[in-house]
Amino acid sequence: MSGVAIPWPVGGRLAQPPGNAGNFMLATVYILLIFLGISLGVIIMNWAERKVLAHMQVRLGPMRVGPHGLLQPVADALKLLLKEDLVPQGADRLVFWLAPVVVVMAAFSAFTAIPFGPTAAVSDLNIGIVFVLAIASLGVLGIILAGWSSNSHYPLLGALRSGAQMVSYEVTIGLAVVAVLLHTGTLSMVGIVRSQIESHRWLLFREPVAFGLFAVAMVAETNRSPFDRPEAESELVAGYHTEYSGFRWSLFMLGEYAGMMLVSAVAVTLWLGGWTRPFPNLHGGGVDVLFSFVPAASFLLLAGLALRAALKMPGHRRWRAQRGGLLAFGGLLLGLGLWLTVPTVRAQSQNVFWFVLKVAVFQYFFIWYRATFPRYRYDQLLRIGWRILVPTALANLLLSATLSLWLP
Amino acid sequence: MNQLPQGGKGARRGATPRWQRLLRWLPLDLWRGMALTFRRQAPSAVYTEQYPLQRPVVADRFRGAPRLNNDFETGETLCIACNLCALACPENLIVVGAQRNAQNRKELTFFTYDLSRCMFCGLCEDVCPTDALELTQDFELAAYSREGAIWDRQMLENGPTPKRYEK
Repeated sequence: MSGVAIPWPVGGRLAQPPGNAGNFMLATVYILLIFLGISLGVIIMNWAERKVLAHMQVRLGPMRVGPHGLLQPVADALKLLLKEDLVPQGADRLVFWLAPVVVVMAAFSAFTAIPFGPTAAVSDLNIGIVFVLAIASLGVLGIILAGWSSNSHYPLLGALRSGAQMVSYEVTIGLAVVAVLLHTGTLSMVGIVRSQIESHRWLLFREPVAFGLFAVAMVAETNRSPFDRPEAESELVAGYHTEYSGFRWSLFMLGEYAGMMLVSAVAVTLWLGGWTRPFPNLHGGGVDVLFSFVPAASFLLLAGLALRAALKMPGHRRWRAQRGGLLAFGGLLLGLGLWLTVPTVRAQSQNVFWFVLKVAVFQYFFIWYRATFPRYRYDQLLRIGWRILVPTALANLLLSATLSLWLP
Repeated sequence: MNQLPQGGKGARRGATPRWQRLLRWLPLDLWRGMALTFRRQAPSAVYTEQYPLQRPVVADRFRGAPRLNNDFETGETLCIACNLCALACPENLIVVGAQRNAQNRKELTFFTYDLSRCMFCGLCEDVCPTDALELTQDFELAAYSREGAIWDRQMLENGPTPKRYEK
């Protein structure tokens, strides 16, 4: 950042994130909010993945627990908590216990540097993106620990695959990120978004190749289909978490989904203008006001859908509880939507809304890939990583470095 | 581009023009696959049948639960206790009981049909001279015990009464 003070796009009470202001109380509140938000996101993602995946495969997905299976995540969580927590014979108990904790901690703690708005971050580190990538890479350690400590064949094979895969694709991620940093001139996450606001252009339009490379590599980095070699169920049972059950397994799942959101959040921050709304250059003629009503409108739309579904339910005695629950849910959404139309709330919340919406689009893409692509073979995966992605990333980096001498 | 290679490597090289080989760098098949899954997610495309709520339509010639028919005017059974079905049955699972009445006519006293051994070949209904025994389209034949699968005359006349669910 070239030291030019830019006015914050949307005025808040704070001039900077609480971590930078030294406000530990507020930072703690933000951490708790982010923790709750990510957990809620994982719950929604759990339902949405099963539902979207099912519909893409011309199935219905969960339908029995709550209307359209809305309470399915609750049932799943209950089941996981009540399951027996097995530790295999001969397992390294301490490491076996530590591994899922490492995965979850790595995925969650990297969120401290992600800006949901100009001031809506726990802390704006001056090495933000490096910190996020470094902490996110710790996840692979957890996976390798899990594979090693299980004292079993399949987890070990899965962990080895995961190690090779993640190390390979992190090279691509690093090179793609460096191409972005050429244009921003700062490592701070807030600074990266502000530089995009300053230049009136999302970096997607400046670095599309780097974005494409990152979009492929982040799927491999989070062990998602079609790069889900470490947990390839047709050959490795469940990969590195074969021996895990109950609560510890759910920690792995939590870590995986939080990791997906993390890499999506990084991609959104770096290439898609972070918290800025679509068409951030259009201001006049009530466009600002129009866009500020979008969060409220989308919540009201969801509320309308829920209430319509509740009213359309057959008037049978068995459906009474479900109808009541859905009515309450729709009412909650309606209240949130109405609350979001309050001018001060509208101004405060829209940054977070646009950020979350962009991340949600990425989550949809993750599910979409899973529904579409068959799993890559192990050698194919590494070949794509080292022989296509890394050379392309290098060439793109050199090219954009050269071009940026003449182009802004 | 997506065709199977015909012949050796040289033959394939000769067959596809250079520009098509360049196209391989654009993973068009991936995009086509994603377009397909995107189109298929429309709720109207769902193929699942929600069984207890939605009942399947069985084929016309489906042979399911047996039924003993009654004369719909008098309500008396059409069965004349001729025992032909029991003789025709390859599994010998039909037992017909009869008694001579005052007019020296055979009257049906009991009729058991062991569904647990039935293979629904339909020979019994083919051989029945009065169309009394018939294999219907009912398919819900589950029972809580082996004895429950042996249907008596009353069960055969009434047919299975599965619980109907409303959607």
